[in-house]
Amino acid sequence: MQASFQRVSWIARVTFLEAVRQRFFAFLLILGAAMALSSVSFRVLDFGHGELKFIADFGFGGMFLFGSVLAVVMTAQLFFSEMDNKTALTLLAKPLGRGEFLLGKFAGAWAVLGVFVAVLSGLLGIVLWAREQELLLLAEQAGKVPPTFSASGLAQFALLQWLRLGVVASIVLAISAVARTFLYAVVVGALAVVAGQLQWIAQDAILKPSESPAYEAVLWLTSRLLPNLQQFNIGDALVLGATGVPADAVGAVALAGAAYMAGYVFLGALLFKRREI
Amino acid sequence: MSSAISVRHLTKDFRVGLRGLKLRAVDDLSLEIPRGQVYGLLGPNGCGKSTTLKIVLGLVSATAGEVSILGCPSATPEARRRTGFLPEAPYFHKFLTGRELVRYCAQLSGVPSADVAAAVEDALGLAAMTEAADRPIGTYSKGMLQRIGFAQAVVHDPELVILDEPTAGVDPVGSAAIGRMIHAMRAKGKTIVLCSHLLGQVEQVCDRVAIMDRGKLVLEGRVDDVLSRRDRHVLTVESMSPAAREAAETALAAHGAVVTSVTHPRRSLEDLFRELVTGSRDA
Repeated sequence: MQASFQRVSWIARVTFLEAVRQRFFAFLLILGAAMALSSVSFRVLDFGHGELKFIADFGFGGMFLFGSVLAVVMTAQLFFSEMDNKTALTLLAKPLGRGEFLLGKFAGAWAVLGVFVAVLSGLLGIVLWAREQELLLLAEQAGKVPPTFSASGLAQFALLQWLRLGVVASIVLAISAVARTFLYAVVVGALAVVAGQLQWIAQDAILKPSESPAYEAVLWLTSRLLPNLQQFNIGDALVLGATGVPADAVGAVALAGAAYMAGYVFLGALLFKRREI
Repeated sequence: MSSAISVRHLTKDFRVGLRGLKLRAVDDLSLEIPRGQVYGLLGPNGCGKSTTLKIVLGLVSATAGEVSILGCPSATPEARRRTGFLPEAPYFHKFLTGRELVRYCAQLSGVPSADVAAAVEDALGLAAMTEAADRPIGTYSKGMLQRIGFAQAVVHDPELVILDEPTAGVDPVGSAAIGRMIHAMRAKGKTIVLCSHLLGQVEQVCDRVAIMDRGKLVLEGRVDDVLSRRDRHVLTVESMSPAAREAAETALAAHGAVVTSVTHPRRSLEDLFRELVTGSRDA
């Protein structure tokens, strides 16, 4: 077990080093950071909750958009670079299980996504804190209630986003395990992200009565197989909400994310076992 | 003792195209590769050599037949633990240094942590890569890439080493260096399976050869045996029976010749290869 963990960690380490050297990662990180930092320049002129919400939403948007692109494209690229360059031949000829290889690739990609989320969340936190301080003074002078944001809420949101991107990466890896080309994996992966964003529609529909058992079965399967990626978007409530979000609700979202992530990595490993290298 | 590699009635079909047409890459191949020898697997492009090696290494599944490595089913991690592999035209992560790559492969191959440093130095030394070991792989020449590939293949001291075209694209100096590495491994009692198009080198380093064509085995045996032409003789006469020698010398001396040896003439492996492979194509 320990030897297996070590092999996975070695694959993850090299995958991480490969990913952080990519210009694509740097490009998206810079874009996301620029979006978080520039949110101050686009703020509305009045002060209060609206302004911090705008800054936070701008940052959340950057994290969601560029993080999703990174999770889909980079994960597929990290997998197919091993296949196309045939480094997988060298590695899989060693006493390394296919599941260990795929888990190592996932762990490396997820670690990079962790760096991405941490950097953007850190920058967003700095921007929010700096503006909060300015607004605090203005509110005192105007005799109004100062707007605030929750740093711990932002940390929780960052963790949930990391989980969300992990779910996306695990889906892309499972698709890559059977895909013949990088492009196919990216396109299907992107469609899966869109479907995950819209999964709540299936959840809503299943609550309404239907006369077709087949339709209900499809809805039930869709709502179980596809993760609801919208459930991770509770940034407003976590970061700006006066009462925050109950810990058990955050825990339930995190648990669902972890379960989907584990499930898709397991599925990917099963599919990858049958792949001819 | 079991063979280093045992292949029994191996068949591999690939499905191609939308209609799933069957392409037979390996056709009822049976081979026994003995331990402690250098074994050459030869054949033209597309003859099924690489597919056979991939099946042996568990990278591709067989349609039919059985393959075992050192007595273990070939697709098991235990079999791969005792095997080293250098793929054709190897590509490694360019940002790693040679030493980092070999250490990475040692870790993945299950070398105990306490032994990794020594194993890495041994493998780098064997591949004559110690001096360049701290340079990024992206700066390596083709020959150095092959040598660092050799080092990663042998870092865990495997009993069986499979080399797929180890000298492809390498200059004669680099090729000779790889030849020396193969000799060094054989001297340690390892089994080496060599897949190569450089027939001269195969002839020099291999104990046995197998020639494949169109997925089938067309010839297998000891290099000396398959290259000897027993239907003809070259006489280098030195110690024949006195009467025969006298008669021969008399006859030859009459023409001003001196008999010094009697041996079997040899044809080159390249000639044999062409005869077997091109001949079957022409048929």
